[in-house]
Amino acid sequence: MMSVRNFHKRMILPSLFLAALIIIPFAAPLITADDPVKIAVRYRLAAPDLEHWLGRDEFGRDRLARVLYGGQVSLTVAFVATTIACIIGTFFGLVGAYFRGPSEFVTSRLSDIVLCFPPILLALLVVTLFGPGSVTLVAVLSVLYFPTFARITFSEALRVTSLDFVEASRALGTPSYRIVLGTVLPNIAGPLSVQYSLTAAAAITIESGLSFLGLGVVPPAPSWGQMIRGARQFMNQDPLGIMIPCAALVLTIFAINFFCDRLRDTLDPKGASGSSMDEVSKPKAQADAPTIKDPDVVAVINKLRLETAHFGTPAVIEDVSLILRANQCTALVGESGSGKSLSSLALMGLLPGAIRQVGGTLQLRRKSDEVVDLGFLDARTLEDIRGNDIAMIFQEPMTSLNPIHKISDQMIEAITAHRPMSRSDARAHAIALLKRVGMNDAERRIDSYPDQMSGGMRQRVMIGMALSCEPRLLIADEPTTALDVTIQAEIIELLQTLRQDQGNGLSLLFISHNLGVVADIADRVAVMYSGLIVEEGPAAQILRDPHHPYTRALIESMPSSHEELNSARGDRLPAISGTPPLPSARPSGCTFRDRCPIALPACADIRPALYPSADGERAVRCLRAPEAPAGVMNHQTEAA
Amino acid sequence: MLAFISRRMAAAVAMLLVIGTIIFSLLIIVPGDPAELLLSTGGGSASAEAIANLRVNMGLDKPVLTQYVTFLYNTARLDFGTSIVDNGSISSVIALRLPRTLEIIIAGTIFALLLAIPAGTAAGLRAGGKFDITASAINALLTSIPGFVLGTLFIFFFAQVLGWLPAGGYVAFATNPMQHLQMLVLPALTVGLHLATIVFRMTRASVLEMRGHDWVRTAVAKGLRRKRVVRRHILYNALGPIITVVGLQLGILLGSTVLVEFIYNWPGLSGLLVSAVEQRDYPTVRAVILTVAAIFIGINLVIDILSSLLDPRIRLQ
Repeated sequence: MMSVRNFHKRMILPSLFLAALIIIPFAAPLITADDPVKIAVRYRLAAPDLEHWLGRDEFGRDRLARVLYGGQVSLTVAFVATTIACIIGTFFGLVGAYFRGPSEFVTSRLSDIVLCFPPILLALLVVTLFGPGSVTLVAVLSVLYFPTFARITFSEALRVTSLDFVEASRALGTPSYRIVLGTVLPNIAGPLSVQYSLTAAAAITIESGLSFLGLGVVPPAPSWGQMIRGARQFMNQDPLGIMIPCAALVLTIFAINFFCDRLRDTLDPKGASGSSMDEVSKPKAQADAPTIKDPDVVAVINKLRLETAHFGTPAVIEDVSLILRANQCTALVGESGSGKSLSSLALMGLLPGAIRQVGGTLQLRRKSDEVVDLGFLDARTLEDIRGNDIAMIFQEPMTSLNPIHKISDQMIEAITAHRPMSRSDARAHAIALLKRVGMNDAERRIDSYPDQMSGGMRQRVMIGMALSCEPRLLIADEPTTALDVTIQAEIIELLQTLRQDQGNGLSLLFISHNLGVVADIADRVAVMYSGLIVEEGPAAQILRDPHHPYTRALIESMPSSHEELNSARGDRLPAISGTPPLPSARPSGCTFRDRCPIALPACADIRPALYPSADGERAVRCLRAPEAPAGVMNHQTEAA
Repeated sequence: MLAFISRRMAAAVAMLLVIGTIIFSLLIIVPGDPAELLLSTGGGSASAEAIANLRVNMGLDKPVLTQYVTFLYNTARLDFGTSIVDNGSISSVIALRLPRTLEIIIAGTIFALLLAIPAGTAAGLRAGGKFDITASAINALLTSIPGFVLGTLFIFFFAQVLGWLPAGGYVAFATNPMQHLQMLVLPALTVGLHLATIVFRMTRASVLEMRGHDWVRTAVAKGLRRKRVVRRHILYNALGPIITVVGLQLGILLGSTVLVEFIYNWPGLSGLLVSAVEQRDYPTVRAVILTVAAIFIGINLVIDILSSLLDPRIRLQ
């Protein structure tokens, strides 16, 4: 929500601008003593002079007076009509929302019908019947616009009345008129005021258009549309004549639109945001030529550091290093917000625009055995790598497929992006892939749309698509979180089988917060907390004997392990108290100390490093772990 | 699909019926005698004989129900009766002038789409960037210029000052194709720029929304070329909302052509309408408005079908 002060600040300029343009015409008697209708043919089309600042028109009338008094007429017609339309429309809308039934039909259908008529045509129809004039105009414009107000009020009122606090006050017995006046009306004031300004601008346009046709305000009363109409014939000799009323009209409408846009942005700030899609800033220079010596290693993340793009904000990923090997499944585990998804998106070159890599390297061994650093590649090469060398499965199968393209089209384009292949070959390949991921009747179902499939089926499609170019590295970002438990097991089983089947030694990076699933599938586990890897090592060792208090807490809060360990005692499932700190509010020393059951005073002073075990198999970032060098804590404690 | 189309067509016919009824009942609900009202000029009323003649001519002497049925029946046969000014057949005048109006609208729409969809896409993809800020500012200014002001200014600059194009008028394409096209440029530009501001706004918003969807990330993750991601997974999805809005805005567009044709002396439906309004020729006004409403409903029917082709979810409902 925007604060009150911000609200005022952003609205000052448009409000002043609009107020000035509305007030000036009505201050006409103070500005000029001339009569807008007094004809002086002798001075027709006279150039501006000291007495008549804007010159005289084709009948010798003072143009300044005409433009000011004309503004009075235009603005009066527009605002009176808009106000009438707003009052009638709001009333109908509220009645419709409150009583529903037939009045609902009237309010919502009526506006559909009125919308069918070009407004100016409907106005012309009425003018034919009643003849031109300001009163006719006001009547027509209010009839034209009240259904729109009714519809907006109606739908907003329905939305507001279903809000929790309104339901609550109704349940408490507050009379309905008080609910309407006290809660509904203030809540719909925003959209209504936006519509009010929009309508006022449209009404001015129509009024001036009709007057321009000679069917609106009746001469000799001045109006901007009429002034343009009159000056049109003399635009050669006297360009000022059309410029002045045009400028007045455009400025007024612009002021209203400007006010309206600001108002809408202020009331609904989410529409105003927007970061660029393809502006991913890269680290400045490549430090060293990428090298992965071990032929078994597919990718190496080394000291990755990610920051938000705003200057001076802390790192969202402080230090992540991982080695991903062929034929191995590495699980990245942690609470939401720990940075596990961002680490994997960095590998894909898919970081959101607001986040950039400021340090570390992301090396990948491509299928061609060439080693590249993903942080320094041009867009073209990255496109070649994505889907081909690295593929990714996302958490939300329901939204990860484009709803308006057939499965076949989406799979075929993934294949032909990297392999020169005819469409029919690609289709055959896609069908084979769907069969491989366990889809029955793949020949038929490949032609369905995503909306015709269940979540589990869509995730199978995503997996098939990811495997279509036989990548060396597959990233699965919580692939089962959005699915039913039974489907979860099937998908995990499928991933296991596929991993073993894939010929070229697939490396799987499996991201999850579910340690039960991780125990099933992972060879190695890396536990992340608050942008750091806190413990890393062989899955069996880590899960059986965690050395970091956070890993231990994660394992203990798993329902299944809890049952095994504590079923006899019948006590409660432990939870980790507190929440992980925001990047901007990480404590000094160890980031987990605030939630740690075994924290010591020293933990506030020392930020632990990732201490490797004696055999080099595992590492842990904790002062109290067996791996921590003996001297570290004593030394620091003495110093403190 | 066929069921969908027939359902939409039935709705369109129902809509036409409602509009016909409303237009018809306007004559019934006006206070006093419509014939007397139509013949009145600035306070003075017409002779009793003239009023009686008009009543017979317009069928106002028959019972309301008979009038209504006759009106619907004749309208369905595209017989709009005769003008009360010159007794000419309204249908044949409309048949002559309608294609000219459609020409401006089609040319203007093509211009608007060609200009605004690429510009709106570019602005939406880089929202907050330099191009977006510039284009949105220009758009805000253009939105504030009513069509007839834009037309007047165009004539002033392009015809009077620069002398590049004729200030108005009409020559049949068959008579002189080059001159015909020259005369079409300014009216089409005026109508088109107005529509372009709306299409730009909508395209920008729609692209901005679509590009944040998960399937766009999937498309990028597949390794598709950026151009293809934008075309197939952002723009193609955005097209549905865009054409729906364009369809609704066409009502306003059809209205603004009235003024545009008037300014450029283009003898389309609008000239007919304006002179009919001036002469209080109600049957003609009624016929023109019914025609325009029918075109509007027809266009929206086509758009409904188009968007259902674009988005399977609409069909599957």
